[in-house]
Amino acid sequence: MDPHELQSILRGAQEARCGALDEPTGKRILAGYGIAVPNAVVLAGDGSFAQVEGRLKQPYVLKLISPDVIHKTEMGGVRLNLASTQALEQAAGEIRQRVEAAGARVEGWLVEEMAESGVEVVVGGLRDPEFGPMVMIGLGGIFVEIFKDVSFRICPVTRGDALQMVDELQSNPLLKGARGKEGVSIDALVETILRVGGEDGVLMHGQPQVAELDINPLIVSRHGAVAVDARFILDQ
Amino acid sequence: MTELKIFDSLFHPKSIAVVGASSSTVSGGNRFIRNLRAFGYQGPIYPVHPEAAEIEGLKVFPSLGALPETVDYAYVATAAARVPAVIRSGRGKVRVAQVMSSGFGETAEGDSLQQDLLAAARDAGVRVVGPNCLGVYSPRARVSFTRRVTDEPGHVGIICQSGGLGTDIIRRGQNRGLRFSGLVTIGNAVDVSASELLEYFLSDDRTRVIGMYLESARDGRRLFEILRQAGCRKPVVLLKGGGTAEGRRAASSHTGALAGSEQAWAALGKQTGMPIVDTLDAFLDALLLCQCLQPRAQATRHIALFGNGGGTSVLGTDACGRAGFSVPPFPAPILAELEGLKLPAGSSVLNPVDVPAGALQQNEGKAATDIVRVLTHAGNIDAVIIHANMTVITDFQHVDMLKNIISAVTQARLSAAGVAHLILVLRSDGDAEIEEKKRGYRRDAVQAGIPVFNEIAEAARALACLRIIELAREAGQP
Repeated sequence: MDPHELQSILRGAQEARCGALDEPTGKRILAGYGIAVPNAVVLAGDGSFAQVEGRLKQPYVLKLISPDVIHKTEMGGVRLNLASTQALEQAAGEIRQRVEAAGARVEGWLVEEMAESGVEVVVGGLRDPEFGPMVMIGLGGIFVEIFKDVSFRICPVTRGDALQMVDELQSNPLLKGARGKEGVSIDALVETILRVGGEDGVLMHGQPQVAELDINPLIVSRHGAVAVDARFILDQ
Repeated sequence: MTELKIFDSLFHPKSIAVVGASSSTVSGGNRFIRNLRAFGYQGPIYPVHPEAAEIEGLKVFPSLGALPETVDYAYVATAAARVPAVIRSGRGKVRVAQVMSSGFGETAEGDSLQQDLLAAARDAGVRVVGPNCLGVYSPRARVSFTRRVTDEPGHVGIICQSGGLGTDIIRRGQNRGLRFSGLVTIGNAVDVSASELLEYFLSDDRTRVIGMYLESARDGRRLFEILRQAGCRKPVVLLKGGGTAEGRRAASSHTGALAGSEQAWAALGKQTGMPIVDTLDAFLDALLLCQCLQPRAQATRHIALFGNGGGTSVLGTDACGRAGFSVPPFPAPILAELEGLKLPAGSSVLNPVDVPAGALQQNEGKAATDIVRVLTHAGNIDAVIIHANMTVITDFQHVDMLKNIISAVTQARLSAAGVAHLILVLRSDGDAEIEEKKRGYRRDAVQAGIPVFNEIAEAARALACLRIIELAREAGQP
């Protein structure tokens, strides 16, 4: 993605007083920077799920798009492993009920293909008040949340920095392979770190608007890395 | 680079103005003038005072504007509220002013006064160091803000955010054997920043090692860029204060919640090959090691330990391990050479080499020097830590074994380039007589380029700092 295009998306969102980018926009940016995201179809709130058929491989993932819901998982706004468009319809109905009962709006739906299984990694970014943009990695779930097993670097990072970040994680045997389990693609992870935090990465080009970024999770498999969720928090 | 030349005025002033000296009492300004004279400063000193005619026997000028020449350096220690006006009056007459006065941004009420000071500095074209600091120490220029400091110049440059700690760094440092090219306290750093001074020291031929004490950085980004660009061509060691502050902003993301000042500074160190320490002693230890030893082309990994004392050898081996080093077995030819020395019973020539004091002084202490000679050329050894229990060794009166060891180490260093790092650990029981002897040996050793530590663990930690620099160079970072 051309840095001007990124800047115009970010400025537009700021002017519209959006504190965060919606998920499809976030993923469009990541894809524009060469980071793999799942194939997806975006539907309006009242759109028909029938149009998904033939455009995406089953099973599907359904995600709520709502400007009122910050943590969509907690709101039950994400459903995995839906086998058919009928299952999509039904799941969407259930989500809508919950969301509307909570007084929030349904703006639309993001339907995606399920990502290949792998190790869940968090790749994040933030603007540090002293050092400017920084990039972070950690393994998803308990490793980040309980053990705080994360590694930070100041952007732009070099390939050497990115490799060191991976080595620094205490949980890295889970990436490299341990106890008879095969490792995942460290190359794909390093490449993603560079596309987020490198010289021409999202975080460098996204200054000064991007205050925080969570790619959580990035699913790293033997063959690649896919950003399954993306959250850009903008400077207010 | 030309704007860096301005800092020659700070560290090598040809003339000095002093604002805040008194004709009736002894204030900070008076003490500074007295320090300058006692330290042998040769340039003209101009006290500035609106009413007084003479201060410390020197002719007084009513304002900076009335000075007979443009001075390189103005020492300003007057009431905070007056400082912006003083700086404005220095237009065209002062190159660098250092403001000691406090009551600026470090207090809740002083914020606007600090902005005022910055505006005054820009308006007057005067570079301002401080406020809220103590001064500058530059032995080559015979300038010092504090007493009890050596006039022997050296090659260690220090940027210190705290004034009081700056004094500690000079005094405790010089007793450890550190010799400085300059030390500047920067306080609130409203105008001249740590990164500018870092750039100056990096370009200054008289400075070979740089130390910084920082609590925060207004221009952290610049610091990062300068350090990265410098590529470890000079060792830079950071003593970081205020590292345990909680996360810095109300975060809305996972990443934001996990980030804090500590992570950012740690990243800075990792990405630029800059060791970060958290105590004054560890800082001085690392600087001393860097003052004495050149980083090796291949990073230090394997250590040989040699000295007297079994338990000390064991604890020393543990400490080296914890610092990330191995104390490996010697290759067969080296082992054969050591065995060929025919050391008496009770000696162990395996690594760690443990030889009782009595055995060490065989042949007038030649046994010890023979061992040092062999170890420094052992191919798989990157550093040799020689440790001596001073109390035991000084009981043997007829041979000055430490002197022999120091000269053996000196010879070993001269005889071949690329020999192992040589480090001396002098262990003392704290007895006054032993301490006095230790002081003498320490001085001789450091003068010969051998760093001296109090314990093996301290030596190992300092060596781990040097290894960070060596590894960064090895990796060709950035």
